[in-house]
Amino acid sequence: MPEKLIDLKNITKRYDENVVLDDFSLYIRENEFVTLLGPSGCGKTTTLRIIGGFEKPDSGTVLFQNKDITDLPPNKRELNTVFQKYALFPHMTIADNIAFGLRIHKKSDAYIRDKISYALKLVNLEGYENRMPESLSGGQQQRIAIARAIVNEPKVLLLDEPLGALDLKLRQDMQYELIRLKNELGITFVYVTHDQEEALTMSDTIVVMNQGYIQQIGTPTDIYNEPQNAFVADFIGDSNIVSGIMIRDKLVEILGARFDCVDTGFGENRPVDVVIRPEDIDLVDPKDGTIEGVVTDVIFKGVHYEMCVMSNGFEWIVHSTDCFPVDTHVGIHVDPFDIQIMHKPESEDEKAVAVDE
Amino acid sequence: MNKKSRLLTGPYLIWSIGFIIIPLFIVLFEAFTGDNGLFTLKYVTDITWFVNLKSLGLSLVFSFISTALCLLLAYPLAMILAEFGKGRSSITVLVFILPMWMNSLLRTIAWQNILERNGVINGMLTALHLPALYIINKPPAIVLGMVYDFLPFMVLPIYNAVSRIDRDVINAARDLGANGVQTLFRVIWPMSLPGVISGITMVFVPSLTTFVISDILGGGKILLIGNIIEQMFTQDSDWHAGSGLSVVLMIFIVISMIIEEKYDSDQTTVTKRERRTN
Amino acid sequence: MKKHRGIKMLYLILMLIFLYAPILTLMVLSFNASKSRSKWGGFTLDWYISLVEDGAIISAFKTTLIIAFLSAFIATILGTAACIGMQTMRRKFRRLILAITNIPMLNADIVTGVSLMLLFIAARMTMGFKTVLLAHITFNIPYVILSVMPRFKQLNRNTYEAALDLGASPIYAFFRVTLPDLMPAIFSGFLMSFTMSLDDFIITHFTKGAGFDTLSTKIYSEVKKGIKPEIYALSTLMFAAVLLLLWLVNYHPWTRRKNDGANKKKFRALPGAAAVIVTVLCVSGLLSGCGSSAAADYSNPNSLFIYNAGEYIDPDLLTEFEDETGINVVYDEFETLEIMYPKVESGAAKYDLICPSDYMIEKMKDNDLLQPINIDNIPNLKNIGESYWETARSFDPENKYAVPYCWGTVGILYNKTMVDEPVDSWSILWNEKYKDQILMQDSVRDAMMVALKSLGYSANTTDEKELREATELLKKQKPLVQAYVVDQVRDKMIGNEAALGVIYSGEAIFTKRENPDLDYVVPKEGSNIWLDCWVMPKSAKHIENAEKFLNFLSRPDIAYRNFDYITYSTPNTAARELIPDEDIRNSEIAFPDLTKMSDLETYSFLGEKEDRYLNSLWREVKAH
Repeated sequence: MPEKLIDLKNITKRYDENVVLDDFSLYIRENEFVTLLGPSGCGKTTTLRIIGGFEKPDSGTVLFQNKDITDLPPNKRELNTVFQKYALFPHMTIADNIAFGLRIHKKSDAYIRDKISYALKLVNLEGYENRMPESLSGGQQQRIAIARAIVNEPKVLLLDEPLGALDLKLRQDMQYELIRLKNELGITFVYVTHDQEEALTMSDTIVVMNQGYIQQIGTPTDIYNEPQNAFVADFIGDSNIVSGIMIRDKLVEILGARFDCVDTGFGENRPVDVVIRPEDIDLVDPKDGTIEGVVTDVIFKGVHYEMCVMSNGFEWIVHSTDCFPVDTHVGIHVDPFDIQIMHKPESEDEKAVAVDE
Repeated sequence: MNKKSRLLTGPYLIWSIGFIIIPLFIVLFEAFTGDNGLFTLKYVTDITWFVNLKSLGLSLVFSFISTALCLLLAYPLAMILAEFGKGRSSITVLVFILPMWMNSLLRTIAWQNILERNGVINGMLTALHLPALYIINKPPAIVLGMVYDFLPFMVLPIYNAVSRIDRDVINAARDLGANGVQTLFRVIWPMSLPGVISGITMVFVPSLTTFVISDILGGGKILLIGNIIEQMFTQDSDWHAGSGLSVVLMIFIVISMIIEEKYDSDQTTVTKRERRTN
Repeated sequence: MKKHRGIKMLYLILMLIFLYAPILTLMVLSFNASKSRSKWGGFTLDWYISLVEDGAIISAFKTTLIIAFLSAFIATILGTAACIGMQTMRRKFRRLILAITNIPMLNADIVTGVSLMLLFIAARMTMGFKTVLLAHITFNIPYVILSVMPRFKQLNRNTYEAALDLGASPIYAFFRVTLPDLMPAIFSGFLMSFTMSLDDFIITHFTKGAGFDTLSTKIYSEVKKGIKPEIYALSTLMFAAVLLLLWLVNYHPWTRRKNDGANKKKFRALPGAAAVIVTVLCVSGLLSGCGSSAAADYSNPNSLFIYNAGEYIDPDLLTEFEDETGINVVYDEFETLEIMYPKVESGAAKYDLICPSDYMIEKMKDNDLLQPINIDNIPNLKNIGESYWETARSFDPENKYAVPYCWGTVGILYNKTMVDEPVDSWSILWNEKYKDQILMQDSVRDAMMVALKSLGYSANTTDEKELREATELLKKQKPLVQAYVVDQVRDKMIGNEAALGVIYSGEAIFTKRENPDLDYVVPKEGSNIWLDCWVMPKSAKHIENAEKFLNFLSRPDIAYRNFDYITYSTPNTAARELIPDEDIRNSEIAFPDLTKMSDLETYSFLGEKEDRYLNSLWREVKAH
């Protein structure tokens, strides 16, 4: 296990009376691609800015390689940031932008020249040295912003929603580009986004945040398949979240029907939240299903159909490659291991979290 | 908005030809003709007279100094205002613009009171047993008057330029290892340059051509080129000579316009507009 | 970046002191009981009270507001229309227009001012309200255009098209959709224009005519003779009003609640601006009830246009004359004769009576600017002493054009506590001991006279060598001179700002009254004796009214009261007899025995060319 590179301990940050981070702790290991994921206002950007040194926490410490850097200004930190709106210096050429950090650190001209061409090659923008930032497209500017950061060979690259301003196709291309870069450079990426797909595609570890609290930390697979609460489930992908009662281990009652599941340890006759992903629902002949329903809506989505199925007053979202026309009576069947049981939120905070989305 | 709406520009077009272009041509005409109506270069070359040349020289020196002082005072001020004003209401900025609501002549006259031998400053200095300060009716008083009168014209465009700089661009510079001073000189300063240039012309032209400040704070002992032109029109009624010197003055104005034009963009137009506003 | 907060605060505070020091000074002065700027005479509210009654200031204030409002309003309409029209123009053409628009913004105000003045003269327009309004509109339009044009760029064209799509006619769509969107920009353009117009001095200075003053030009003309404290009171009120409004708009809970929104700043500025304008206009409306409301219209037959030197008549007499005769007097002041002359000569300013000095009367007569005054229609002229008519004959041989008004000598006013040697010669003005303690007259003839007399030459010499010598002498004196001023000599001497000052004898009585340390002397080398007379310019139309006025002024009681107010020696022998104070009636200063003073000369008109030559010599001194 690689050691902790960055360690945030008990960070609290307020803006006026607004608590953005509350006793927040998180560590990041070397060579990890960590994504902070959450809706706007969840504190993810603040976390990043505290790591970068642009904000000072009201309390708590930031350790970098076990050294306290809480009070260190940004220019003394061995990490670099790629800003949301690129933040290129508009009065400098691309080459001067990239060379900025190197010149500050008084590198030789030859070294700087090599670095510029290396970095431009890395981001596939060779020959752009003498252009001005404004003449570049958004995607190109973003790549220059990355190049400008990585030529300084930081131990960590902080990326603040770097793809937020790009269109869909470009965003997808850049995702692969970033993964490639990460692998070539072999450094730590801390990535902030509100786009769950982006997070799932690129990360080694995802930190789901809401209202200044960490909701879940895990690999993309963990987060997707086994959300620990309704917020995570809802925020990551489409989900059917329905109230149920845990009759006993491995048996849950939803909408009056009993489903087999694999979860244990919830006690008997306890109210729970049940999460079922739309693609995990099989529509079958009414008599073969655990519960019956009527198709109320069908939309063709390309790779699959999205259907709404009404049963006992609950509207299921179902993804399937088979099409069932509207008004068809169907049965619903879910494999036991596709049923995810979660505790009902208990604290006020958790409730707020659930209501928020 | 169809093409007929173009006609709406008509009145202004006629107006600007009648009240901007033609008057300037009259000045040119008066400058290059004599009493007999014939072409002459005499009045334009009057500038080479010792008295005129000296006043022009003085005007240039004073306006250079006051422009430089304005820049020196205004830049930190604009930065501080941009920093303090951020997020909060722009009340701090307002406080610095408010003085412009009092008649500028009166404010200049008030400096007489402050600087006089028995004025406010000397009253305080003598109370503190310090030597009195005699700058009234001397060049420093005029420069002070210029700096005072035109400082807001320097602060506003720079403030606008500085506060328009994306906070993250400054963060990016810090992030890339630049300390505060390096960030200032490599990022903030060059990015605020359009505002600075705009501010410089806004201060330079009026200080070069003023006759009011030298009149009020110079005790009649210092003649600037503005005073000479003013006197030629209002006392000598010598319109040829006055126009001749005006034409020379316009050369300097055109030079500063060209310099500004090099930096021209919508941005400078906007700051220009904000030049005297509040 | 959060470091050095203390230093930054300190810097802000220092700058605030720098910016507000003059404003505080003005406010303090508005409560100063002493009329002299340089003396604190205790707290008073008198100036605020007398402000309401001061017709000249109130009417200047009103004119300022009217000009500002009208010019801003017209400029806003013209400018906005131009912007709309430009939208469909080809870019090249549009850029050309915008370039022209930039000219008045970037050009020096003085050049804009003189160019417009030359235009109005070429078009033979009478300078006055109309010309100033035209000039203000001209420099205001660019502010409107530069405010509205950028807004067009941000404008969402789709909303206009949507309106058309929904069946609106282009005009309807424009007024209901586009215009409301432009409104904030139009309004801020209007406000900017209003402010610019309010504060303009230079362009108004060149385009204004007689009997017409905005606050700025009023203040400027008073610079030379000392600002009336009422002006301080007025500007303190104006400043306080703006301050109050801004506070209301920004901090009052009532406005605050309304303005909580995303576009805080923008919307906050708007009601503020609106409130400012509305209040200013309301205040002006209120005040206009008090001030006199007659506009300076020369075609009004029941009026009389008078052009006089500053503080050169008891203003009560004017009102009295108006009450007695029902004639509306338009009274205007000039700083120096040299400033007066071109205005009259160019015909830019029209007057019925002007009060110039001897040499200037000669000049005006020689240039055919005067018409004879019919003395038979003015019976009270019999009160004017024969010796004064005789003096007048030196420039008006047949006593046809000039009616003596005041006379006096030029001499040295000195402070007995600061000068410890006898003062009897001009040479003391060249004494190094009094460096920076000397005030010289800022007028060509007087300054030249001082130098010529001390050299033993005639004050009316045209000999180039002699003039050159005098010029060099004045240049030599310059380092010792504290300032070249006109009427300010009086204030400064009262306030102990200087030890020696060249001044007219008429001021001596007043200044001695205010500061007993002062004394006046006519130097032994000789000096100028001057005689100011009323003359009637050729263009005068209200001849009968003018005669009535002269008759009024020559009444012994009126002439005495006028003397008591202005303290300049009167040629009205009947009035002199009315002076109760024997010391003054027989004062050596006020009524010197002319027979004993051999070297007193009146100025004579030297000729146009000589005048310009003298002016250029004087500039040479001042630029030295």
